[in-house]
Amino acid sequence: MSKVQSPKSKIEEDISGELSIIDGELLEVSDGEEVAIEQKNKLSIENKGQRTKDSAQISNRQSTILNYLFLPFIFLTVALLGGLRLGAQTSDFLFLKPPLVCLIFATVLLILFFRANLIRFEGWFSENFSTLKNVANATVLLTLFAASTQVFNALLPESGLPFWVIAFCFFWTLWNNLFAEFETKKLLKSLGGLFGLAFVVKYLLLANLTAPASESWWQGIFQNPTKEAFTYLLDLPRFAVGTGYIQFFTLIFYLIGLFLVPPVLSEEK
Amino acid sequence: MKEKHIHVLSIILALFYTVFIAWLYWAEPRTLEEVSTKAQTTIENVTTKTQVAIGTYEIDRTKFAEGLDAFRKDNFIVARDNFVKADPEKRDARTQFYIAYSYYRQGWGRISNDDALFKQGLEETNRLIALDKNFKSDDANLQIKTPVELKNELEQGLQITADDFNPLKVLRERK
Repeated sequence: MSKVQSPKSKIEEDISGELSIIDGELLEVSDGEEVAIEQKNKLSIENKGQRTKDSAQISNRQSTILNYLFLPFIFLTVALLGGLRLGAQTSDFLFLKPPLVCLIFATVLLILFFRANLIRFEGWFSENFSTLKNVANATVLLTLFAASTQVFNALLPESGLPFWVIAFCFFWTLWNNLFAEFETKKLLKSLGGLFGLAFVVKYLLLANLTAPASESWWQGIFQNPTKEAFTYLLDLPRFAVGTGYIQFFTLIFYLIGLFLVPPVLSEEK
Repeated sequence: MKEKHIHVLSIILALFYTVFIAWLYWAEPRTLEEVSTKAQTTIENVTTKTQVAIGTYEIDRTKFAEGLDAFRKDNFIVARDNFVKADPEKRDARTQFYIAYSYYRQGWGRISNDDALFKQGLEETNRLIALDKNFKSDDANLQIKTPVELKNELEQGLQITADDFNPLKVLRERK
C-alpha cells in the first residue's frame, strides 16, 4: 500500500504557493497489478501442485489396477491354459493336472524371484499395511505361483524319457540359479531363454517326431515307420497342432506378466 | 474407485477365476458344449449336497412314482433308473429298498438265478442295512418286507447247495 500524496508534500506545496492546490481526499490505493500477479503466481503454483497431485493419483490408480486386477487376470489365464491340450483326432479339450515336480519347480522359481529382487518381500508384505492390502498382495503372489506351476506343466513333456530329461534340465538350471547372484533383468532374460528352449524342444522337435494319429497300428507303421518308432520308444503323446499355438501364447502371457511384476507392490505410508 | 475397493475386487475376482479353473480341471469337459452340461450337473450336485447338509433333502416324488410304476410292470431297468434319479444321494431307505428288490426280482430265475444281479442286489441291501437296519416296507405287493429278509434271500440265491438240484424247485414262486 502506498499513498499518492502525503500530507507533508501538500504543506510544502502550500508554502511554496506557486503550485496549484489540489484539494481532495487522501485516498489509499492498493497496488492492484502487483497483487494480481502475486495471486496469479500463487494460483499457478497451486494449480501446478494440484495437477501434479491429480496426475500422481491417476498414475497411482492405474498402477493399482494393473497390479491388482490385470496381473492376477494374466497369471490366472496362464494357469488356465497351461494344462490345456487338444486331442489329436477330434481336437477335444484335455485338461492335464500338473505333476508334483511342477509345484516344486514353481516354488524354487519363486525363491529365485525373491533372491533376484524381482519381488521384494518387504514391498509386498508388511505389518504397516492393512490386512486387506496384505491379503490382496498374497492373492497376486498365489496367482503368480499357479501360473509358474502351469508354465512348467505346459513345457514339460507329459510322459516317458523326454519328461525325465527335460525335468532334470529344469532342475539343474534352477538349482544353479539359486546360488548365483542375479539381477532382475538378467533373471528375466535367463528365464525367457530357458522357457523358450523348452518350448522349442517340446512343441517343435518332439512334436515333429510324434507320428500323426492313424486309423490302425499297422497303417501307422507303414505310413510313418520312423515317427511311429520314436513315438513308441519315447512314449510321446499325440496332440493336435493347435496345442502348440495355445502354449505359445501361454508362455508369452507369462513372460509379459513377469515383466509387469513390480518389485514393490505397495509403498509404506 | 478407492484403492481399498480395488483390493476387494481383486480378491473376489481372483477367487472366482480360481474356482472356475479348478472346476474345469476337475470336471474335464471335452468340448465347449460339455462345459454348460457339466456346469449344470455340478450345480445340481452342489444343490443336493447343500440340502443334505442343512437337512432339507427330499426325494423326487414324481421320479419315485414313475419308478414304482415301472417296478410293478417288471420293467426293472427303467425302475432302477427312476429310483436312482429320485434319490441321488442314496439317503432314502424306501427308495433304496426298491432298488435292491429290483435286483432280486430281475435276477430271479425258476431254474437258476443271475448271480451278477444278485451280487449287486446284495451290495445295495448291505448299504440299506447300514442306512436303516430297522426299515420295514408297507407295500402289500412285496412278500419280503425287511432288508434282512432280502439279504437272506439274495445270499441263498448265490449259494450252490444240494437243494438247487431238486426238480421241484421249478415250482417255487418269486417273492
